[in-house]
Amino acid sequence: MKLTDKEIILKIKNGEIDYYSFIVGEYTNSIYRYIKTKIKKHEDVEDLVQNVFTSFYRAIERFDEEKPIKPYLYQIVKNELKMFYRSRKPVLPLKEEIYISDDNNLEIEDKESYLKLLSNQEKEIFIYIDEGYNYEEISRKINKPLNTVKSIIRRARVKLRIKNQE
Amino acid sequence: MKDKNLEKKILKGVYRLETKRTTTYLLIRVFFGLLFLLSTFVFASVTIDILNEQNSFDLLDFFRDDFEVIKKYLFENLIDFFQEIPQPLFYVSVISILLVLATVFILVKNFKKIKNKLVAIYKFQSSKDKTK
Repeated sequence: MKLTDKEIILKIKNGEIDYYSFIVGEYTNSIYRYIKTKIKKHEDVEDLVQNVFTSFYRAIERFDEEKPIKPYLYQIVKNELKMFYRSRKPVLPLKEEIYISDDNNLEIEDKESYLKLLSNQEKEIFIYIDEGYNYEEISRKINKPLNTVKSIIRRARVKLRIKNQE
Repeated sequence: MKDKNLEKKILKGVYRLETKRTTTYLLIRVFFGLLFLLSTFVFASVTIDILNEQNSFDLLDFFRDDFEVIKKYLFENLIDFFQEIPQPLFYVSVISILLVLATVFILVKNFKKIKNKLVAIYKFQSSKDKTK
């Protein structure tokens, strides 16, 4: 006799964790196929499917057995996908010297043209960075919150990167 | 076949997580149970030693007398006895006993669940060993 999802959940809550294999057996294929439509790499898909079921298992004590499993699982899938995309997002390098250091073989005139792109405040911050101050020290020096300093630096980097790609 | 492998991987991960969880749960409960038991023993024995030195137990000797005497002095003597108990030590001992009882109660309450988990983990491990 086939057990319902509710009965399975109740059994798992009662410590009979071997019943989790029924849930895994029933939903793995559909979740795998769904994630496969979003991500092409097989290894990544497998990792995500594993994460989904591990997350669901972690949450099973809190899970209301009266509710259907599928929507809950797909909500976890959605969150996992979000986290996956976030982890794959390209990260801008933190070191400003990448753009304006002597190591990148830029001529002085080039540096000047790069600096022209920046506002006075951005220039001021980059000068501090060049002098070896960290972000916290800079935020104290220019009397602005740390997050504002970070945002200014990030925006300036984007400008420089665009210029660099031209 | 590929799906079966994936299912196996998922279950392996889940069992690994559950083994870690159950072991931690048991170790923590046993550790605190023993700690509270030990502190109960230490504080209770110190309290009893102090009461012995003060000869406070003599106040309870009236229990050997007739029922009428017991009835007459029960309340008064018990209050005297209670006043002679070193209060902070007594309260710490009582709290320790209550904590031991709470720990045991929680363990007994969850006993079936933990037992089921341990059986499932054992079954999974032994089936894994067989397939090797």
